[in-house]
Formats: sequence, C-alpha cells, structure tokens
Amino acid sequence: MITEIGNILLSIATSLSLCMFSTVFVRRIINVDKILLFSTVITHVITFLIFISFCLLALAFLSDNFSLKYVANNSNISLDTIYKFSAVWGAHEGSILLWVFILSVWGSSIALFSNNIPKILVVDMLAIMGILLLFFLIFILLSSNPFDRIFPIPLNGRDLNPLLQDPGLIIHPPMLYIGYVGTSVPFVFAIAVLMNRKIELKWLSWLRKWVICSWVFLTMGISLGSWWAYHELGWGGWWFWDPVENASFMPWLSITALMHSLIVSEKRGIFISWSILLAILTFSLSLLGTFLVRSGILVSVHAFANDPERGLYILLFLTLIIGSSLLLYFLRSKYLVFQKEYSISSKEFILLINNLFLTITTFAILLGTLYPLISSSLNMGKISVGAPYFNFIFASLMLPIVLLMSPAIYSSWKKTNYKYLTKKLSIILFYSIIISYVFLNIFYDSDIFIVFIALSLAVFTIFSSTIKIFQNIKNGIHESFLKNIFLLPSRLLSNLLSHIGIGVLIIGITISNYYSIQKEVVMKKNTEILIKNLSIKFVDVKTKTSKNYSSQVGIFDAFSNDKYLLSFFPEKRTYNIQKNIMTEAAIDSNFLRDIYIALGENLSNDSWVVRIYYKPYIQFLWYGAALMILGGIFGIFGRNKLLKNIKNDP
Amino acid sequence: MIRKLSLLPIAIFFAVIYFLFIGLDKDPTLIPSPLIGKQLPEFNSKTLLDNSKITNNDLLEKTYILNVWGSWCYACSIEHNYFIDIKKKKSIDIYGLNYKDNRKSAVKWLKDKGNPYKKNIFDDSGNIAIELGVYGAPETFLVNEGIIIHKHIGPIDKNYYKEVVLPNIKNE
Repeated sequence: MITEIGNILLSIATSLSLCMFSTVFVRRIINVDKILLFSTVITHVITFLIFISFCLLALAFLSDNFSLKYVANNSNISLDTIYKFSAVWGAHEGSILLWVFILSVWGSSIALFSNNIPKILVVDMLAIMGILLLFFLIFILLSSNPFDRIFPIPLNGRDLNPLLQDPGLIIHPPMLYIGYVGTSVPFVFAIAVLMNRKIELKWLSWLRKWVICSWVFLTMGISLGSWWAYHELGWGGWWFWDPVENASFMPWLSITALMHSLIVSEKRGIFISWSILLAILTFSLSLLGTFLVRSGILVSVHAFANDPERGLYILLFLTLIIGSSLLLYFLRSKYLVFQKEYSISSKEFILLINNLFLTITTFAILLGTLYPLISSSLNMGKISVGAPYFNFIFASLMLPIVLLMSPAIYSSWKKTNYKYLTKKLSIILFYSIIISYVFLNIFYDSDIFIVFIALSLAVFTIFSSTIKIFQNIKNGIHESFLKNIFLLPSRLLSNLLSHIGIGVLIIGITISNYYSIQKEVVMKKNTEILIKNLSIKFVDVKTKTSKNYSSQVGIFDAFSNDKYLLSFFPEKRTYNIQKNIMTEAAIDSNFLRDIYIALGENLSNDSWVVRIYYKPYIQFLWYGAALMILGGIFGIFGRNKLLKNIKNDP
Repeated sequence: MIRKLSLLPIAIFFAVIYFLFIGLDKDPTLIPSPLIGKQLPEFNSKTLLDNSKITNNDLLEKTYILNVWGSWCYACSIEHNYFIDIKKKKSIDIYGLNYKDNRKSAVKWLKDKGNPYKKNIFDDSGNIAIELGVYGAPETFLVNEGIIIHKHIGPIDKNYYKEVVLPNIKNE
C-alpha cells in the first residue's frame, strides 16, 4: 500500500511542479495577483504532498516494513527507534527525498514571507523553484525511488550503516541539507531579478536575511559533522579535507562572501551584479556538492551510496540549469548597475578585498578537490591532493581575511579616517601580539611562526570586536550600562559575535593542531602511561552486549599526582548484522583540554593498541562555532528590525 | 571590459563540467581495497542461471577469480574475451558477481558472448557489491580460500593472467 500511495503522491507533486514552472510562460499575459495566488497554493500543496510521503517512509521504517527495498537495506528490527527514524535519510534514496522536502519548504517560505517585494518577482522565484523541484522529483521517481519494493520480502533488514548510528548523525544531515538547499533562495532571487532586468536595494535587505538563515544552518551542519568525526571516527581528527567535506565547505565560503557583499550592495548600491553572480555560484557549488556525493566520482569516506548513473543525471541538470543561469547573467547583468564609484579608504573597499579572498579560497579548494579528476582526465596520472595542500592554501588565504576583520569593523562607509583607524587598531594589535607571544612562551615554550601569527590575529579580532561592543554600550543613549546592553543594534551585535567566534575558532584550530600530544602505544593490562601531567592506567577490558551490537569496553583510570581523578571507558563495537567494527572514543573535556582515549587492535590476551591524545583548546572549536551561529541568529531575528517593521506597517 | 569579464564564469563553469563528464567514466581510485587479506563478506544469494542457492561458504576453494560485471556495462564486454581466454587455460576458476543487472538481459549477454564463469552470483540490488567495496563494474578480485588477495579496478587486459593470476597460482 505504502508503495502505491508514495508513488502517487510524488507523481502528483511532480506534475504540480511542472505547473508551477509553467507560470513563467503566462506571467505577462495573466493578472499577476492571480498567478501569485496560483503559484502560492501549488507550492504549499507540493510541500504538503512531499511531507506526507516523507512521513509514509518514516512510518515504514518505524513499523519495520521490509517490503520496501530501501527499508530492508537500511533498517533492522533490533535497531533503536530513534535510529530507525534517522535511517529515513541514512542512504541515498531517503536523503534525496529529504532534499526535495526541504527544497519545497524553502519554496513555501518564499511564498509566505515576501510581503516586501513585488509580486512579479515572487511569481518568478516560485517558477524557478518549480523547475528545481521538478528535476529532483523526476530524479527520485526514475532512479532513486525509496518506495521501490523488494521481493521476496526479507524477514529482517540489513541494518543501518553503523557509522550512522550516532546521536551526532541524527541531526547533522538535516541541518546541512537545510543550509545547502537554502542556497536555492538567493539563486532563484538572482534569476528572477535577471529575468525582470531590475533591482531595488530594499529587495537586497530582504534577501540578506534568507542568506544568513541558510548560512546559520550550513554552519551548524558543518560543525555537527566535525563534532561527529571527532567523536566517532576514533582518530581524534575533526576535519579531513575529504571531497564531501569540501563539498559542504565551498558553498559555506561562497555564501559567506555573498553575505558580506550583500551588506555593501544594500548600503551603498555597489557590487550588485557581483552579489548576483555569487548567488548563482553558491547554488552551483551546492549542486556540485550533491553531484560529488551522489556520483562516487571521487574517493571519499562519505561515499555511503553512489552510482555513476545517478551522477550523470545530476550532472546533466547541473549543466542545464547553471549553464543557462550564467548565460542569462551574461546577457542581463548590465541592467543591475546602480553606482560605480567607491573610495579605497572605505568599508566597502575592505569588504571587496574580503570577497576577493573568500572567492579565491573557494576556487583553490575547488581546484584541490577536482584535481585528481583533472589530472587523470589529462592522463597526467593518478594524483590525490592531501591535507598539506589544503592546509597551506587555507592558512595563507584565510589569515589576510582575519587581519582585515578588525579594520572592517572600525571603518565607515564611503570615507574612513585612516589615520585615526590605524592609531587605534595598532594599539590593539600591539597588545594582541604581546599577549600571544607571552602566552606561547609560558605554556608551550615554542616559536612556531605560523602559530604565533594565527594566534595574534585571532586575539586581535577578539579584542577589537569586544572593545567595539563596550564602546557602543558606553556611548549608548541610556545612562544605565545594563539598559544599553539591551539596546545594542542587533546588526552590530551579530557582526561582532560572529567575528569573535572566528577568533575563538582559530585559537582552537591552531593550538589543538600544533600542541596536541598523541600517543599510539601497545599497552598491557595494569601498566601505566604518562601523558602531560596525568598518568593513565590500563585496568581491564570487559565484554558488553547490547541490542544490536556487542562491544569490548576498556577501563582506564587517570591519576594526577597519585590521586585518582576519573575513569575512561572507550569501546570497540561489533555490529551484529553488518559486522562492522566501530570505535567509540572516551573523551574527557574541560575548558582547556580534551583527553581522548580510543581502543585499537587486540594484539594478544592482555595487550592492546591504545591511542591516547591530549588535545589542548579543542573545545574552542565548538565554542567558536556556537558564537558564529549565535551571531547569525541575531542577524536574522534582529530586534531593531522587528521594531522597524512594526513602525513601517501601519 | 566588465561585459567580457562576465563571460569568465561561463568559461570556468564549462571547463569544470568537462572534467566532471570525463571523470564519470574513469574509476576514481587505485587505492588498494581495505578488504585485501580479509574474508569475503557474508552473503546469501541466488545464482544467475539456475537460480539455486549460493553463499560465501560455497566459495572456499583454492585460488579463483571473482569478476564483478553487468550486461549494461560497456567496459565489461571489452574485458569479457580475456576471461574466455583465461577459462581456456583451465588453470583457474572464474566466478561472476552479476551487479545491478536484470536477469533476462544478463542471461542473454552470456548466451551471446560465451560464458567463462563457473557460477554467477546474482546481485541485482548491488548489496553484495557494496560489502565488497565495489565502486562500479567491472572490478576483479582474486580470492584464495575465501580470502581476498588482489583487487583490480576497471577492465582487465591481456596481461592480467600473466602478471596477476600466474604468480598467485605458482605460490600454491
């Protein structure tokens, strides 16, 4: 039954999205109010239909309906209920369904929240949304149908990939997808603007909120992914420059650039056509990411399910949609010029440089990701581009951006008093350098130059942003300090919090990267090992069985100066059905460091390979990400903006 | 000037697309399979021709070739003649893993081109292939008593027998 209903719902949604797209042919003939009503209703109906089919699939998982091939391949009776639910997007078919569902929700949201922009623009945006939906729905029906049957019906399923049986992975894919797919909003906006040959600055402030929104979700998705890798993969790493990670990071960089160029476009009426191009670029990178993940064209640890045939379909679509968008851009971008002039000594110029660096970084990562492909296509041999390339490129291109953050914060539009700026910032920079130098010498007794530079810049950004916040509080309209805190412009707060977040993130990255202590040793029971100032004693290994896996649990006690501190219980799990072995590291975190213990191979009766890491400041990664996300949220739900809207709408 | 510059994105885009299209046909990796030295994964399936039961326990004999193929796969038809040649040498058995295929066209394919395989495992869902770490057909494994000892990605050529198979049989 579920198969039939699911297929019918998806087919109806497919034909409706064709209707939604077809408004593009009648937009000048029929009254725009009527078309808008039509598109709005259809969008909501499509969203509803896809939602129901998504629920059906979830129901099939929860009720162990193994007559569906997708369920049989990715679930199991003994799987925990929460994982049965997250298994809905645990493999290709379901995750594409989730993709489409989220796309339809973004479409519905455009229809709902677009009072401030002209109706014809909304109609056009929904039409473009329609063709995106059409493509992905056809893709599902033709080659990725989660409602396909299997016969004979197996008694039990083949279980969810054990890698995915982790709390971090329940919400990581949806978050990432919401952000990923959210880049479709600036894209459809860009196309609609190009179709109408016209743009107004207030439309850009409408767009900016959507961009921040998908930026927030992308940031959350990426950080959750890192968090998962750190906890689950057992190697203590959190970023691997894996093609699929890059696939999510490139749209992030490009949407970050877009976010900044939109600020300039909105305030000053310049770089508009650049913003439009970035909007197209960001969505192209999202589609490219989907293609890379789904086609298996590159080697990746994330290649859970891939198939060249599916890749070809996505690639054809990518060529068609992005090719025609860029062509449209080429033909129409000349209509988008408002004002051309700007001064070198202005905020807009600094933001231009920031955009330049972000774009170059994006392309450098794109190049590194696709290089194995390019070189093998040109018969230059098989080459894999590893972390050293990416680390080098990334550090050398990102540090200038970080250096520019503080001047950008302190400079003003149109014309900046550089003398005043330099004087003020050089004092802060001076203190940042001194503090970083002293810090590194006291705690790490080290003189690695790049660490010193990165740390100084991070501290510089944090200091200058914090000082700016205090300045604003001090110069606020109220006399009371507290009241002024609540009256801080949320846009400024959003800006400063995110930049402080970047600073904190860099501290985490640099110090944990350079000053980790890693020990991979063979340990016998009842022996001890010294790491930093802790001595870790290997007590025993016990066997534990759970519903769908059995595991060996190591017991380690940590002592400091012969005083017992805590115990670690790293696990090695063997999942019953797929026979995969998974590492569950035991981690003790506090503000300044993580101790990370993972159980390796069992060599003989009582000796084991054990990995013990001491990772200083690694928690700063998550703090930094959290601050950036918080900043983003302030940017979307700005209190001042809400007030202004209330005033404007009588 | 600006107008000419806006052609640049199009140029870059099509260059990227070009490589992606080419890349689709290439195999993505020469990294040896992590499965080398490991047991064949467990499976429980049917054979292609007579639909009888076949499991990993039926594949425990001394060195044999396990070839992943599909009638839809062009490269498979290229390497097919080499397998027929290897079969004529009668020194090693060849098993097939019929990957994501449709039974009818697979049977017809073997009828038309000749059947070098001792038995074929029918894997229409591709699940066994996933366990084997298969990226795409064709891939060829050399297996000894259920343990994978060599993996070849892409179509084999005339040197495969001499360079890969022979040294491994001689060792026995």
